[in-house]
Amino acid sequence: MEIKEKNKEENKISILLEDLASLESYASDLFSFLPLPVCLISSIGIILEANPALERISGYKIEEIIGKPVENLFIKEEIEILSKDTIEKGFVKGKEINIFTKEKRKVPVSASTVLRKSEEGEIIGYFIGFFDLIDIKKKEGELKNAQTALLNMLEDTEKERERVEEEKNKTLAIITNFADGLLVFDKENNLLLINPQAEDFFEIKAKKIVGKSISKIAKFSPFKSLINLFGEEIKKIFRKELSLGKNLVLEITTTPFIREKEKLGTLVILHDITREKLIERMKTEFVSLSAHQLRTPLSAIKWTLRMLLDGDLGEITKEQRDFLKKTYRSNERMINLINDLLNVARIEEGRYIYRPIFANIEEIVRSVINSFNEEIERKNIKFEFKKLEKKLPKILIDTEKMKVVIENLLDNAIRYTFPGGQVTVSLKYAKKEIEFSIEDTGVGIPEDQQERVFTKFFRAANVMRMETEGTGLGLFTTKNIIEAHGGKIWFESKENKGTTFYFTLPVKEKFKKFLEEL
Amino acid sequence: MNQELTKETVKKLMEIKGEVRGVVFKTDGEFIFKEKGKEGLKELEDELEKLGYPIKYKEIKTMAFYPVGLRALSLLAIKKIFNFNDEKIKEMGIFATKVSLIVKFFIKYVFSLKLAFNKQTSKLWRKHWTVGELVPVELNEEKKYAIIQLKNFNLHPVYCRYLEGYFPGPFQLMVKSPKITCQETKCFFRGDEYHEFLIKWK
Repeated sequence: MEIKEKNKEENKISILLEDLASLESYASDLFSFLPLPVCLISSIGIILEANPALERISGYKIEEIIGKPVENLFIKEEIEILSKDTIEKGFVKGKEINIFTKEKRKVPVSASTVLRKSEEGEIIGYFIGFFDLIDIKKKEGELKNAQTALLNMLEDTEKERERVEEEKNKTLAIITNFADGLLVFDKENNLLLINPQAEDFFEIKAKKIVGKSISKIAKFSPFKSLINLFGEEIKKIFRKELSLGKNLVLEITTTPFIREKEKLGTLVILHDITREKLIERMKTEFVSLSAHQLRTPLSAIKWTLRMLLDGDLGEITKEQRDFLKKTYRSNERMINLINDLLNVARIEEGRYIYRPIFANIEEIVRSVINSFNEEIERKNIKFEFKKLEKKLPKILIDTEKMKVVIENLLDNAIRYTFPGGQVTVSLKYAKKEIEFSIEDTGVGIPEDQQERVFTKFFRAANVMRMETEGTGLGLFTTKNIIEAHGGKIWFESKENKGTTFYFTLPVKEKFKKFLEEL
Repeated sequence: MNQELTKETVKKLMEIKGEVRGVVFKTDGEFIFKEKGKEGLKELEDELEKLGYPIKYKEIKTMAFYPVGLRALSLLAIKKIFNFNDEKIKEMGIFATKVSLIVKFFIKYVFSLKLAFNKQTSKLWRKHWTVGELVPVELNEEKKYAIIQLKNFNLHPVYCRYLEGYFPGPFQLMVKSPKITCQETKCFFRGDEYHEFLIKWK
């Protein structure tokens, strides 16, 4: 019976031992695999227990942690406060402290504690569980850096904004005080800005039109003629004249402002040339008046001399004839000069009247060439007229004015080509226009003076040395006539090699068929 | 007693009566695993098998009881294979107090050195061994020393070295000191009636 009882007790003990082993295994697993670092601190600040997670975070081995004072693993002040708070309150939640690693690094952690007491109520110590804040701190750091970077950027942006604002104010001050009128359009051709000078020109207040599209602005009558000049697309123009009423003449230039190949808008510059125009008109009127006054007596002289030379007033000696002939030629040159001056005056006053008719330019060219035949022969110039086999279409031209053009060009070519040289006149027809060219092997135009060829009274230095005659008005008149016909004129020249002048005249498409049938 | 691991030594050890808790083998196994790795542990187990007393450290049950002789056999085999000196054996003792589950049970008494010394010293022994008696002789907190005696327990001198490492362990949990030392002042194997250990701290 006793043996049976003993066996029963042994069985019980065996079961208890098994349970204990299972419990130990359970507790050990729980403690070992717990991902959060935990430790048990004694009431006098000795680390009594630690788990592998604390090993990992601190770099110490378990045996290097257990039995060691807390100061080895934590910052003294921090752990003291934590310990005090735990003892006072029984627990602490989420207090941020640092763990000192074996490599003397600080690892920020969030610590939570629970006070531990014996069955008798004595404080044994407390548990601490840690939550690794490295990643959070890292993210916090990154966020802080990002925030700092953002603040820096904001600061930079603010500085940049202030700088831009300052620049804008400067630009605005320049624009406002600019002597010329200015209009600034954005890339959609809405008016961004109008300066006070432009307000005065158009007698309008900025607030009425700023922000409006160009098509809406065009409805304000003062702007109509301006916008007609450059169109609603604001095409590029340079120093085009625009009369606004009787007392205001503006010179208009439009220029796009471009940054990195992108058009940001357009600047319209309105330069007041009223005074210059007035002076020019007065000058032209004076020239015109003088020329008229001079031409009458010169004409009288011409006819008197003609009569003398023709013997209408009696016989004259050979010597007298020679003198009279020279006087007649000089008088002719004077009349030509006066005529040129009158033409220029008319051009400038806008009174150079064109009477266009459909005509064959080849006939005009041929007739002018014929009038120069004597001179060509006298100078022994090899002359060639190259024309197309195909009949040229008739074009709308003022034949008299066109004759002046061809005379001027032919006269220059023969005059400034040395005897024995060559002059070639060509006529071509292509791309809806007729092209005239006259090539000579003459003295050419010095390169540095070529820009001024079509200006009034221009005579190249080399021709002034060799020829005293010439008014310097022929090419100015020529260019105006060609452009009045909607054509273009240009030249190529090399000093001592020769010059080729070209001009083109448009063939109006709608009359082409009709003209071909003529 | 002969410190070498001879068959005669093994036989004598295995004749000693009494049992010990499996936790002591667990702490040995953990120490070797930590120091020598898996291969080291296997080498140790092979040696013990050769001696005819195979111990599979991982399979040992912490709370179960095993023959007393095996305790010394485990230490002697470790000493032999890994050529551990006395200091290393002491280190094993220190390590054991830090990982031993039974020592962890002791933790709840650490709030009072006096209480723990007087009331828990004998208990701590009894929790491990069915033989021998650990007697708290003197505790002087002012002079910072304690004396304990181990009576009726004459296992093997190697275990005396082990205990020199082991005894400071519980003190480390109760005394905040940078250094705690332990010296066996009396030893049965040196002709004394019992073993006596002097534990000192700074």
